[in-house]
Amino acid sequence: MMTRRLAAALALIAAAGAAPAGVPDAVEDHVLPGMDRFAEASAALSETALADCRAAALRPAYHAAFDAWLGVGHLRFGPFEEDGRALAIAFWPDTRGMVARSTDALIADADGAVDDPQAFAEVSVAARGLFALERLLFEPGMADYVENDYRCALARAISVDLARMADELAQDWRADHAPAMIEADNATYRAPREAQQALYTALTTGLAFNADQRLGQPLGSFDRPRPARAEARYAERSLRNVKLSLVALRDLARALADTSIPQTEAAFETALDATTALDAVFAGVEDPQERLRIEILQQRITAISGPVANEIGAPLGISAGFNATDGD
Amino acid sequence: MTRIFTALPALLAFAAPAVAQDRAEVVATYADIAAAGYEDSLLKARALQDATRALIETPSAEALEAAKAAWLAARVPYQQTEVFRFGNPIVDDWEGRVNAWPLDEGLIDYVDGDTPSAENQLAGLNVIANPRFTLSGEEIDATEITPALIEQTLHEADAVEANVATGYHAIEFLLWGQDLNGTAPGAGARPWTDYATGEDCTGGNCDRRADYLAAATELLVSDLDWMAQQWTEAGAARETLMADPEAAVAVMLTGMGSLSYGEQAGERMKLGVMLNDPEEEHDCFSDNTHNSHYYDGLGMRNVYHGEYLRTDGRLVSGPSLADLLAAADADVAAELSADIDTTMIELGRIKTAAEAGFSYDMMLARGNAEGEALIMGAVDALVDQTRSIERAVAALGLDQIGFAGSDSLDSPDAVFQ
Repeated sequence: MMTRRLAAALALIAAAGAAPAGVPDAVEDHVLPGMDRFAEASAALSETALADCRAAALRPAYHAAFDAWLGVGHLRFGPFEEDGRALAIAFWPDTRGMVARSTDALIADADGAVDDPQAFAEVSVAARGLFALERLLFEPGMADYVENDYRCALARAISVDLARMADELAQDWRADHAPAMIEADNATYRAPREAQQALYTALTTGLAFNADQRLGQPLGSFDRPRPARAEARYAERSLRNVKLSLVALRDLARALADTSIPQTEAAFETALDATTALDAVFAGVEDPQERLRIEILQQRITAISGPVANEIGAPLGISAGFNATDGD
Repeated sequence: MTRIFTALPALLAFAAPAVAQDRAEVVATYADIAAAGYEDSLLKARALQDATRALIETPSAEALEAAKAAWLAARVPYQQTEVFRFGNPIVDDWEGRVNAWPLDEGLIDYVDGDTPSAENQLAGLNVIANPRFTLSGEEIDATEITPALIEQTLHEADAVEANVATGYHAIEFLLWGQDLNGTAPGAGARPWTDYATGEDCTGGNCDRRADYLAAATELLVSDLDWMAQQWTEAGAARETLMADPEAAVAVMLTGMGSLSYGEQAGERMKLGVMLNDPEEEHDCFSDNTHNSHYYDGLGMRNVYHGEYLRTDGRLVSGPSLADLLAAADADVAAELSADIDTTMIELGRIKTAAEAGFSYDMMLARGNAEGEALIMGAVDALVDQTRSIERAVAALGLDQIGFAGSDSLDSPDAVFQ
């Protein structure tokens, strides 16, 4: 399914003979299908919630939407940056307990924003998206709510809001951002290398996010491990998120590369091998033996960036640009 | 297409690297600005120390206001040095002692109600009220509040970054107190009697609060003194940069790009709007956030144009990054210059509105469209500026040196590869 604008852009590129290497493949084979899957899964979650907003009913659709998010969550530029969508969809890490504080505040006030999608879109990002919903659906003492409980209405509002954002993302990508990247002669992407660099930065930043945050947060230090900081641990998705993210990043690497990338393939394989037989929520960070296995996974993920630079960055003549996690 | 095609010959003509001498001069200007900025920060911190001593010796409403005024003045030069943090590991490793934020202030003194952060067990410790306590299973004797206690025991205790025991923001809390107005008008309103002696003392333990303020201010002065030394003629920070001017130019741009995008536009500004949380204000006790953001922006402009106006009115200037870039690619240089000016206009708008009474925490309120537009205007300008910085990196042929955010700067090799 290609829009007319996209087709026109491609035709233009073909005529000019200037298609940025790797970008059309990455956009058409990786970004756009991933966005569609996330939009579809979020729409299904929203429909489920409109029919029955109780935790047990929502959990399967929640997992499907989160799985789909991991296919695109590393693409933190362009449409993801607008309106703070990346934060509103997945507010994590949350070292200050903002998700709990913000959802508790809505519940305590029985805030009327849950009845109005437009008003709910203005609510703090910590009370929206996948992590606010995780709290309602999985946290002990939270998930036992009944049909007419405020929490049920909140779960429904979060699901509907998520579906709206996912749909807008998919549309923005298809209508505007994908053609702009492929054309690479516009205000956003002035030259092919800028489009390449945006995707390449997403790849390297995504790898670093898995190593430094998804694993680094629960690992903490040897003396002070932090199992409670594992991502989505109530939903028991911590390890699953790393695996799915690595698979998605490998997919992006393959699409972005011009040639075969044997070192990169091997590095991903080695890292994915290290995910087998780990516990689902990295509770093992407190056990010296188990901790070592989690550290090995972290090291192997970090080790992917070398081959990526050699086999993808260097041939394209690019290195990573600035990314949203440059702050502290 | 036309734009690129017209730019291309220019690029080819000037692609030969500017002579090494030029780069060394540009880097020297950068180091001169850093030296002056940290020296000004030190002088203003000493003035703050004088004012806090006066408050402690003779507590009064006037003495508290004088100390607050000294703190506000001290922020002006310091915020302009934040651009040196990213890219220079020596600054980044040190910075947490001076400007750490956000903080769980209940570690230090009394706070309203009980809002300990979810996972920080020390968020309600209140050292000022508790001379003895247990920390990570260890008995701590805090009967004497000293710089050593604050720096070595309390700061980042239990490996939690929100346990900020020292630096500008700890002092800010000790002077202003918590801002209990949420997203409504008003800053923290600590009574001067929190430092009064005898029966006039409010908030309890006024003597210990005074000890804490004295110790934290002493630490700030000594930390800034150390950093100012690193940028003198024989200082380590300057020597590292001068040893490899090519890499140093990349450091200059890395500092600007990382501060513009991940730190200021993202962490400090956009996140606050998206969370609607007044504690996401950078200077949340004093309501001075508009100035913090403004002077961060000005620091980047200083580095680009090789100009810094000292607190005594003298101008430090020399061969600049702008000159170097203009020789390599005049279009990119002009564009980055225009982007930085746009950022300053946007940050100036926030400052203008805040100084007229529309404070930064009010801008963060849920559904406050005007506030959101003001902040997001600056965020968008900072993001645009970042794209131009990336283009500058490419134009100067530095793109194989690699970028690094603060997290990866623990290994200097990542930058100086």
